[in-house]
Amino acid sequence: MTPEEMQAAIEALQGLSSTNMEIFYYWCTGIMILIHAGFLMYEMGASRVKHSLASGTKNILAFAFMIPTFYMFGWLIYLGFWQGFTYDPVWGEFGLPMSAVMGPNMADQATGVFWGAFTLFACTTASIMSGAVIERIRMASFVVLAVILGSVVWNLAASWGWHPAGWLVTEWGYHDAVASGVVHTISGFFALGVLINLGPRIGKFNADGSANIIRGHSLPMTITGLMLIVVGFFGFIGACVLYNYGVNGGWVNIYGGPTTLSAYSFNTLMSVAGGIIGAYACTRDPFWMMSGALCGIISAAAGLDLWYPPLAFAIGFAGGYLGPWAAKQIEKMGIDDAVGAVAVHGVCGVWGLLAVGIFLGGYPGFSSWDGYDIPSISMTGQLVGAAVMIATGFIPGYGLSWLFNKMGILRAGDGVQRDGMDHELEGIAYPEEIRSQ
Amino acid sequence: MINSSPITTWEGAEAIFTFADSPMGMAICFWVMAAMLIVPLVVTYNAEEKAENEHQ
Repeated sequence: MTPEEMQAAIEALQGLSSTNMEIFYYWCTGIMILIHAGFLMYEMGASRVKHSLASGTKNILAFAFMIPTFYMFGWLIYLGFWQGFTYDPVWGEFGLPMSAVMGPNMADQATGVFWGAFTLFACTTASIMSGAVIERIRMASFVVLAVILGSVVWNLAASWGWHPAGWLVTEWGYHDAVASGVVHTISGFFALGVLINLGPRIGKFNADGSANIIRGHSLPMTITGLMLIVVGFFGFIGACVLYNYGVNGGWVNIYGGPTTLSAYSFNTLMSVAGGIIGAYACTRDPFWMMSGALCGIISAAAGLDLWYPPLAFAIGFAGGYLGPWAAKQIEKMGIDDAVGAVAVHGVCGVWGLLAVGIFLGGYPGFSSWDGYDIPSISMTGQLVGAAVMIATGFIPGYGLSWLFNKMGILRAGDGVQRDGMDHELEGIAYPEEIRSQ
Repeated sequence: MINSSPITTWEGAEAIFTFADSPMGMAICFWVMAAMLIVPLVVTYNAEEKAENEHQ
């Protein structure tokens, strides 16, 4: 084989790898839509009959609004704000909605596929807040909050901490391989900010401050929805790795650091199992067992590329135990989180970041495929990252919902809550007029 | 009716989407999309106000 033929063969192989990567990502995006099927079932099942259509509609609208708004400005924010609040026009140009790569382009096979995956990350982030606020938030305000969370806030944090050049990564060695912080902590604390201003559902708390259990109309639907979310997570997690031919010789994590797809397979399954069993040990409640699966994944997600699988199980177990316990504490504070989203995503997300600091400190730094030098993992870096994620989620969630509350457009009136949020929509959930208790 | 094609041949073609060579065409599509997001929110807000009045 001549040198020219060798070079041609290498280029052909690289082209094949690139095509395979795009196909892989494309189908990860498709699988991620199952997360939304799951959220839809989960939230509708967790709602009483008179609110169930409104809960479902709210969830579908969040999904639909996220896609065009992520096209309009979300991708631009992710690509352009890795330095902090300073816009980088060189990177940002590729995310401009009128860029030549933001549509069918024969010279660019990849942008739309990666944009699609990140759009689904955005949809997931917004859907996390959605469950917490069911049965009393007004639809229009919810959609605006979801757009701010999904197409502005999380991707700003992702640009800082989930990008090979992000300042949290290059200055602090922040490690969050599968988004314990940049998706889950952000959305959990955004939801907390909204819940404080939104207030509880009517009848949730008694005059003495004790809480009542408000059961949704279909626990089987809720549990099945949660299992679908777990299925969808495999797409989410798959979309957090890249095949980087030539440089590191194989799969790389979101920062361009060496990893294997096996790592994600081992540790995802182990942490799911740990989370379910941990939540069972804490509650023996099937709702929390499936929420515990999410707690498990979220707790192990930040270090999913590096855990020894039994440690991933233990971290997931701890998350599964922590989630329902934290939900109870949040309830005792007078905050009505209908599905435990703050505990599952916010608290377990922070636990996941700190677990990396505890167990993975000292893993060496590396140069990413873009040439950025990334320091070693450290507890300091994880603490800084956790603080940034909490603040970046909570402040806009609290601030914007405070404003909407002052304008009187955040919370549905008592009459609508009493008669059912579904009165704002056409149609009824169950023609037989099944009534909730 | 509207010639939105940015190419006259597939030879060497890159951006092939409608209006790829027309910033004005893209801008119109972009702002139409933005309006299509805002109008349903206004409709939703009005429906919520109506429901609030009917269910005091």
